[in-house]
Amino acid sequence: MVIFKFMRNKRLFILMIGLILFISLLGFSSGRTGLTWPERFVNDAVGTVQEAFYRPVGAVSEFFRDLGRLSDVYEENEQLRQTVARYTQDKIRYNMIENENKRLQDDLHFTERQKQLYDYRYLIAQVIASSSNPYDKTIKINLGSHDGIKPKMAVTTVDGLVGLVSKVSEFTSTVTPLSELDSTSTDAISIAATVLGREDQSFGIVDYDKENKVLQMSKIDENDQVVEGDLIVTSGLGNVLPKGIIIGTVISNQVGDFGLTHTATLEPAAKFDHLTEVFVVVTSDVDAP
Amino acid sequence: MRMNRTILLTILLLIIQTAILPWLIPSAWSDRLLPHMPFVMTVFVALFGGRYKAFFFGLGFGLAEDILFYGELLGTYGFALALVGYLIGLAGERKNHLLSFMLLAVGVGSVVMDTIVYFVYKLFQLTSLTYAFALYWQIVPTLLLHVGFALLLYLPVRKWLAKAGAGEESSAS
Repeated sequence: MVIFKFMRNKRLFILMIGLILFISLLGFSSGRTGLTWPERFVNDAVGTVQEAFYRPVGAVSEFFRDLGRLSDVYEENEQLRQTVARYTQDKIRYNMIENENKRLQDDLHFTERQKQLYDYRYLIAQVIASSSNPYDKTIKINLGSHDGIKPKMAVTTVDGLVGLVSKVSEFTSTVTPLSELDSTSTDAISIAATVLGREDQSFGIVDYDKENKVLQMSKIDENDQVVEGDLIVTSGLGNVLPKGIIIGTVISNQVGDFGLTHTATLEPAAKFDHLTEVFVVVTSDVDAP
Repeated sequence: MRMNRTILLTILLLIIQTAILPWLIPSAWSDRLLPHMPFVMTVFVALFGGRYKAFFFGLGFGLAEDILFYGELLGTYGFALALVGYLIGLAGERKNHLLSFMLLAVGVGSVVMDTIVYFVYKLFQLTSLTYAFALYWQIVPTLLLHVGFALLLYLPVRKWLAKAGAGEESSAS
């Protein structure tokens, strides 16, 4: 009897139905990659307007930040001059090695697929908005499937890896920053990483520690000497991310869980907020028909 | 409540929230202050327009926000905003629209909304943060920001959006 009276309460009944509908919507939407046309339409329509606001405001804000840093310009200029000098030397060396590499590849009869494996294209994208959802913080960029963007492509700035493309519509796409790729979440993507300069010796898996705002590189071999100041880059193993994108620098390295492997703490190279220009890394699609 | 104007204003506020506010919030606070302008407007709709309007208003703009920044899940803000709008509409039915009641509604509503969103992500195991950390790190700072925005918007909304006759407003231009 009580339960019937309970059910007759229309308000509660509707609430229950709403709850069930929403939980099924949430379950249905998690782990999906495609978008339906209403979603794409809303994204693209609002994206155009957001772009018109985000970029001018960003330009003004950057201008004021630059004004504040005017005194550092002299020092920075000096540093850049040294970097350019080193760059020209390296460029000569690089050209030599690349030619040599090409010749050797030809001699060893590399297939077309092997030759193109590490041939990446960088597409410049403008950030047009950022979300205010604390557990699912995404940013939007102004490139979409029209420009050849696909889900799970790597997104970087000049400093380093920012995140992965998550959902793609016609002219815009959303990017999940590295800071949301939680290792404990159900759809975690493990980033295979290695130390720059010792790519064939080091290996570890990078994820983000949200409470301490640092990256963690776990499962490092205990004989592997990862020390403070080492530059960590993606290793390209696992075929999710391209090879050689900077992730961060090592702050400390200690014995990890179970005492069998080491876990290093990394300072992220790129910042994940106040972004203006990012690059989407397009790998040459050699497996496509 | 003049719904057409309210919807237009909220779309504008949503664009400001996603495209302009991120630049105004300093880098150190950018993952702590996460304002939701549609939420503030939903509270106004609930107080000036009643609970049914607030329910559909919150549902619509919550889903819009979910679709615009679809990362893992769809529908968290749709659910949270619709529920909060309805509850505030229910609570505010017999009250005069005093400023203090509006501020209380924004404060409590903000905590309820962020808590619902947190527990949805916790339910689907998409976050490993503890509730205490989330409360301290983003829910409370965001609450203060929401109250600030509500104060800022209160007079314009009452003057231009609340319908004449409903409440103390007699002749809106």
